[in-house]
Amino acid sequence: MYKINELTRIANQIRIDTFNAITKAGGGHYGGCLSLTEILTVLYFKIMNIDPRNPKDKKRDMFVLSKGHGGPALYATLARRGYFPISSLDELDVPLSKFPKHIDRLKLDCIEVSSGALGQGLSIAVGMCLSLKEQNKPNMVYVVLGDGECDSGQVWEAAMSASKYNLNNLIAIVDNNSCQLDGSIQNIMPLEPFEDKWKSFGWNTCTADGHSVKSLIDSIDNIKDKNYKPSVIIAKTVKGKGISFMENDHWWHAGTLSEEQLEKCLCELEDLK
Amino acid sequence: MIGDIVSVQETYGKTLVELGEKNKDIFALEADLMRCSGSKYFESRFPKRHIQVGVAEQNLIGIAAGLAAMGRIPYASTFANFLAQRGCDQIVMCMAYNRFNVKITGSYAGLTSGLNGGTHIAVDDIAIIRCIPYMNVIVPGDCLELRQVLIEVSKNSEPTYIRMANGPMKEIFSSSHKFEVGKGYKFGDGKDITLITTGITTEIALGALKPLRENDIDARLIHLPTIKPADEDMIIKCARETGAMLTVENHSVLGGLGSVVSEIICKNYPIAVQTIGINDTFGLNAKLEYQLKYFGLTVENIVKKSKETIALKQI
Repeated sequence: MYKINELTRIANQIRIDTFNAITKAGGGHYGGCLSLTEILTVLYFKIMNIDPRNPKDKKRDMFVLSKGHGGPALYATLARRGYFPISSLDELDVPLSKFPKHIDRLKLDCIEVSSGALGQGLSIAVGMCLSLKEQNKPNMVYVVLGDGECDSGQVWEAAMSASKYNLNNLIAIVDNNSCQLDGSIQNIMPLEPFEDKWKSFGWNTCTADGHSVKSLIDSIDNIKDKNYKPSVIIAKTVKGKGISFMENDHWWHAGTLSEEQLEKCLCELEDLK
Repeated sequence: MIGDIVSVQETYGKTLVELGEKNKDIFALEADLMRCSGSKYFESRFPKRHIQVGVAEQNLIGIAAGLAAMGRIPYASTFANFLAQRGCDQIVMCMAYNRFNVKITGSYAGLTSGLNGGTHIAVDDIAIIRCIPYMNVIVPGDCLELRQVLIEVSKNSEPTYIRMANGPMKEIFSSSHKFEVGKGYKFGDGKDITLITTGITTEIALGALKPLRENDIDARLIHLPTIKPADEDMIIKCARETGAMLTVENHSVLGGLGSVVSEIICKNYPIAVQTIGINDTFGLNAKLEYQLKYFGLTVENIVKKSKETIALKQI
C-alpha cells in the first residue's frame, strides 16, 4: 500500500517519463498529458483492483481513457505499474509500434478501449457497466474525460443513460484543465456551471484538486457506493502541469519544443524529483 | 414457404428472442424505435438485456460497443438512415476501429420508409458503411433469410451492419436455403445477362425473369445478400458466362450494390455493367409502390435496361 508522499513522487516520475517520451517522439500532446498524471497514479496505484501480471483478470476494475490523446501519460503510468518496461516508452509514435499517441486496444492487452475521436468513451463505459450490472458483478469502471470533449452531445447522452440505469459501478473523472486546443474552455465553449450540469443529469458529483493525490483519493472514497447513482469527480488541473511556460497555455495542447525550451523544461523537471 | 407474406418486425424480434434464449450474452438496443424494428418482443422476454437509449444514436452505438467490450453480443437498431448518418462516427470509432463485435440493424431501409419521406429514406447507408474498414454489410432478401442472417452473424465476432426493409416481405426462399456470410445465390443459368440484386430488389427481379424470356432474353439472377465481403468469384464467373450485368438496388447508384459490382468487374473482367437505383437524389414522400415506379425499380424497367445493357456488349 503506497503512502500519500510515495504516490506524489510516483505521479511526478510519471510526469517526467511522459515528458521524455513525448519529447523523444518529436513532440505531441504535452498539455493534456501533464495534467493527467496524478489522476492516473491514483487510479492505477491506489484505487483500481488490477493485476499487471494478468491484464485480463476477470475480477479487474476497468479503465477507459476517453481523452485518447492522453495516451503517453497512460503508457508511462502502465510502465511504472509494471505492465511493460519503462524502455517501451521509447517506442511512442514509432510507426507500427504498440504505442501510438492515441491508445489502441488491439496493440496492448492492458488497454480496454481504443480512443482518440473525442466524446465517445463515456458511452462505451456505460455499456461496460450495464454488462457488469446485468451479471451482478462487483467490478468498477473508471473513465477519464477531458473537459474540452464535454462539448460533445454524446457525453451528455451517455450521462443521461448512466443515470437512467443507476450505474453506481461507474466513476468518471474529468481532467478539468480549463483549456482546449483552440483556447480556454471559457472562450471556446463555456461549461459552467459544470458540476451542476452533472448533478442535474442525476450524478453524484464532487470537485477535487486534480494534482493532489490525497484530494483525489478522498473524493473517490467518499463518492463511491454512495447510492444508486453514477459519480463524477471534477478534477481541477493545470494544463501542462510542471512546465512553467506550458501551464494554462492552450498552445501547448500539442506542440514541439525548441532546443532552448527543452533545456528549460529539463531544469524544471529536475526540480520535481 | 415461398410466396408467404411475413413481417420483418416479427422476424427480427422473435429471432432475437430465440437467440437470447440460447445465449445469455445477446442484448438488444434501441433508440426509441423498437416498435419499428420489432425488438419489443425481446424487451418483453429479457427486459434486463434490452437497453433503450431514447433518440440518441451516437450513444446507442457507443453503449453497444461497451457491451461488446465485455464479450456480450449486442444488436443495436434504429432506422437505417439515422444509424448510418448520425451514428457514422461511432460506427467507425467505437465499433470498427476497436473491432468490437457489435451488430447494427438498420430498419425501414431505403424506399421502404415510404411515406416518412426523404428525411427517413436511407439512400446512402450501404455506401457509407461499406467503406468503413472491417465492417460487413448484409441485406437479406426475405424474412427466412433475415432470420438466418441474425443467427449466423451471432456466431462470428465481426462488426456487422444488417439492412432491413420495412415489412412485410414476400418469401422468396424455400427452407433449404442456407445463408452464409459472403456467399451469393444464383437463380437460373441464363446466358444473355446477369441481373444482380439485394434486399427487396431480388423479389422484383425474380418477377422479371419470365418477361425477359418473352423478350428473348435468357437472364440469370444473383441475389447478393452480403454486400461486403461480396462474392467476387460468383460475380466474375457470371461476367465471363453472360458478358453483361445489370444491378438493381433500393439505394443510391453511388456507392451501393452497383458500385460494388462495377469495382469487381473493372478490376477482373471488364464487361458492360448498368445500374438501376436512386440517381443521386433523396427519396420521395410517397408509398413504396409509387417510389419503386418513380425510380425504375420495376419489372418493366429491368426488361428495358437489360436490352440496353445487352446491346452494349455488341459494341
